Amino acid sequence: MKYEIVVGLEVHAELNTKTKIYCGCKNSFGSMVNSNCCPICTGMPGTLPTLNKSVVDYAVRMGYALHCSINNICKMDRKNYFYPDLPKAYQISQFDIPLCENGYIDAIVDEEGHTKRIGVTRIHIEEDAGKLIHSDDFAGSLVDFNRCGVPLIEIVSEPDMRSSAEAKAYLDTIKATLQYLGISDCKMQEGSIRCDVNVSVRPEGSTEFGTRVEMKNVNSFSATVRAIEYEAARQIEILENGGEIHQETRRWDDIAGKNILLRSKEDAQDYRYFPEPDLKTVYVEESRLAELKASIPELPNDKLLRLMKQYKLPYFDANLMAENPDKADYFEAVAALGSCQPKNISNWLLGDITRIINEKNLTLADTSLSAEKLAEMLAMIEKGEISTTAGKTVLEEIIFSDKTAADVVEEKGLRQMNDTAALEQVVRDILAANPKVVEDYRGGKTNALGFLVGQCMRASKGKGNPNIMREMLEKALNG
Amino acid sequence: MELFKMTGGELHRLMKEKKVSAAEVAEDVYARISKVENGIGAYITPTPEEAIKAAEAVDKKIASGEEIHPLAGIPIGIKDNICTKDIKTTCASRMLENFVPPYDATVITKLKAADFVMTGKLNMDEFAMGSSCENSAFHITHNPHGLDKVPGGSSGGSAAAVAAGEAVMSLGSDTGGSIREPAAYCGIIGLKPTYGAVSRYGLVAFASSLDQIGPMGRSVEDVANLFYTISGQDPYDATTMPTRYPKTAEGLGYDFSGLRIGMPREFYKHADVAVGASIWQVIRTLEARGAKVVDISLPSTDYGLSAYYIISSAEASSNLSRFDGVKYGFRAENYNDLNDMYEKTRSEGFGDEVKRRIMLGTFVLSSGYYDAYYKKAKLFQQKVRAEYDEAFKMCDVIVTPTAPTAAFKIGENVHDPLKMYASDVCTITVNIAGLPALSLPIGMDHEMPVGMQLIGPHFSEEKLLGIAKEFETMRGGLCQVASVV
Amino acid sequence: MEIDIKKIAKLSRLAIEPEREEKFQKDMQNIIDMVEQLPEMEAGDLSPKVEDAMALREDVVEPSLPREEVLKNAPQVAAGCVVVPKTVG
Repeated sequence: MKYEIVVGLEVHAELNTKTKIYCGCKNSFGSMVNSNCCPICTGMPGTLPTLNKSVVDYAVRMGYALHCSINNICKMDRKNYFYPDLPKAYQISQFDIPLCENGYIDAIVDEEGHTKRIGVTRIHIEEDAGKLIHSDDFAGSLVDFNRCGVPLIEIVSEPDMRSSAEAKAYLDTIKATLQYLGISDCKMQEGSIRCDVNVSVRPEGSTEFGTRVEMKNVNSFSATVRAIEYEAARQIEILENGGEIHQETRRWDDIAGKNILLRSKEDAQDYRYFPEPDLKTVYVEESRLAELKASIPELPNDKLLRLMKQYKLPYFDANLMAENPDKADYFEAVAALGSCQPKNISNWLLGDITRIINEKNLTLADTSLSAEKLAEMLAMIEKGEISTTAGKTVLEEIIFSDKTAADVVEEKGLRQMNDTAALEQVVRDILAANPKVVEDYRGGKTNALGFLVGQCMRASKGKGNPNIMREMLEKALNG
Repeated sequence: MELFKMTGGELHRLMKEKKVSAAEVAEDVYARISKVENGIGAYITPTPEEAIKAAEAVDKKIASGEEIHPLAGIPIGIKDNICTKDIKTTCASRMLENFVPPYDATVITKLKAADFVMTGKLNMDEFAMGSSCENSAFHITHNPHGLDKVPGGSSGGSAAAVAAGEAVMSLGSDTGGSIREPAAYCGIIGLKPTYGAVSRYGLVAFASSLDQIGPMGRSVEDVANLFYTISGQDPYDATTMPTRYPKTAEGLGYDFSGLRIGMPREFYKHADVAVGASIWQVIRTLEARGAKVVDISLPSTDYGLSAYYIISSAEASSNLSRFDGVKYGFRAENYNDLNDMYEKTRSEGFGDEVKRRIMLGTFVLSSGYYDAYYKKAKLFQQKVRAEYDEAFKMCDVIVTPTAPTAAFKIGENVHDPLKMYASDVCTITVNIAGLPALSLPIGMDHEMPVGMQLIGPHFSEEKLLGIAKEFETMRGGLCQVASVV
Repeated sequence: MEIDIKKIAKLSRLAIEPEREEKFQKDMQNIIDMVEQLPEMEAGDLSPKVEDAMALREDVVEPSLPREEVLKNAPQVAAGCVVVPKTVG
């Protein structure tokens, strides 16, 4: 029997606000253990939470970015459970009224730019727990409370994904959106995005959902793909052998590449949710909502699809630019000048320019390469005034200086030689000097042409127009 | 001069006139503590060294001619569930026997800014759960007016200390009557402020939606000054509200003519005949001054206890979960694993009453029961509020007994939780509605004080204190330091 | 409603000694019978209200506590951390 995989995801993303969600402690990663703590985030008796305004703002912006409706009158709730990394023994979260709900993501599922709509059930705000540190040569576990109270949004999807690839596309979109909004650092290795994965399978064509299994501890997007594939295969094998799937929670072990039972449905925790009595109604005024909505930039998938359509860029180029909005903005600024081809801009931007700034660990903003300067240079190339090779030299000269392309071309004498009489002389000389190569070419080794063009370029000190010389060579060789 | 018998207002005037020093006042109060504390047991942690130091600082200010706050140099005791930086805060529980907070409660910060002198930390029922102060893990507190009687609870130490002259004033906390009932039993004045008038930051939470810190004292002026000093919106407590109270008790009073006094019949059927009679006597004297009695009904009163125990226990079960032996407080000595450590720590660290409330709260919030208990109680809360709102359309203030009886005997109710709970029947709905209420001593029944409760609309403390002040003036004083014999 | 004292104690992380279970069960049952006297309520609206809105805190850093203050009340400390019995990794 053929099976269909059904996946739903719960993504926890840490927000990069200045302070924690319920106290004024610094929200930062990598500090000395227990150094970003106060009586409030360590749950000292008598302390009370106060809700960080930026956390609400950030979550509302994410809600708008994912096309949610915003519950601008909502509340916080307590989720009660005992664990050493949760100092109050309850997490202040949201239960029945999330800040945002009923949204969706159009994830891009192939390089033609086809999309799949995946429902976003809800986004709510809550606090992170601390960290437990284990060591084999120590009998107990150590608790570091620094992460307690770091603000989180939990983004819950509908069970709308049908493959690990769709799950990956969904996660990529979430991550890119968080980065576009500048509300999360999205550093997987620091645990700033984490994921719980719900997987079920059903016979292809069936409209009913199978029993779902939740997987915890999935700590990277690539692990998500592996975890989904493993779990789907496990479930299919059980069904094929006539067994049945139990609703349970399993723990993904990425190193072993398998999951193990954490708890069955019968052991499900009773969280005893109730409204947080230490906080009152969370209310985002309508005028503030409008401001937050207006602050949402064009989102990564929208940008990607638009770049493909508007500039006829291939997926690869559009995607690289959508992942780096500053590059996309720069690209569009150059394209807007109308003096060169979009694909040419993209090639230079994603090629040589990116290489140069990456080598120096800089960003576009650190260069002196205005859109006008690049456009001028590219136009010179396109018009054949300088060669592509010369263009590389020009770029190195103008990228960090006040010079323009014209300045450098003049200064270095890089203007391309288009004078046919002069070029014909070069071609004749090269043909005469390389009789063996000419013979090879005529004998069928057509790639010898490239060698001859190279020789002509060298002889013209890089200034000869290679296209013209190529034509001349071809004519002479085939004639 | 027996300084310990004086009110804060009297001492303030004497200090300003340089007739006595703050250090002398503190010394006199500690002399009184040495003399009677053995018989009373009001304190868990007296802090004489810190007190003398604070008093001397006040004396320097006075000597240098600086203006001083009405509470400057006044010896004030603090209930031991209010966090005091570097001074043990135990909540009268084994669980926090050695807990030293690294921070001050907002009310303490405010009192320090007023240069108060803290006498020490006062006994209470463990985690404020109780009505007799017999649930303290350390020792019981005796009623200064009759040592075989309870002082009431949970702020029993706060009431007994003030009544016995072991402090001039005190802070208590009130979740279902824990300031007013002991104030009534010990013959002093206690104010439970409007929910949101005083910051709870630093008050070890029992039931977050009902708890309020409030002042206790032997004069209305003192209670007012203490209240005005500790109240106000606090950025550290999101449930506080902006308030517009005066800065000091100066000019406090009330004209009784035309005052409409609501007498809710439901409260009187729960009260002893003698208690009811004492209140009617007072009402007659107020009527003679032009007040009018209005017969009102607050039918939900009879179910107050049920709703109270659902809401308060639900919140308590969550609030007290943090006492798990991990970060602070008691941890059991021998355990096999994490869960065993949790269970042993909590079983050995909490007393029985606390355990009962935690289990009740856990039960009413547990899966499948939420709607039948918690949700129903919250709906009931709305009904109670609506009833009070209606009542305050017909009257300006509601007068009831503070407690159904005068103080009962130590040990009398300890084995019957329900009987103990019943002593809060007159005070509980006030917390459920979030209203302010004041308990005043109005007389004696078999040589034990009887209290009268004034309930007002939200944020009407100034009015309640004004009425009390007028009554105090009529009577020529309401409280006297118990002789303690 | 009957209360299952063992289950509730476990959920509360309390251990009741077997010899005291009966007394606790009886006291708890009495308390539950008392709270159940609360009459049925008409359906009402418990949703959050704008008039109960709170002010939110500005996102401005305040000093944290020195680590020794954070840890000074902890029953067991090592390497700047609170120590607990081993939890599953």
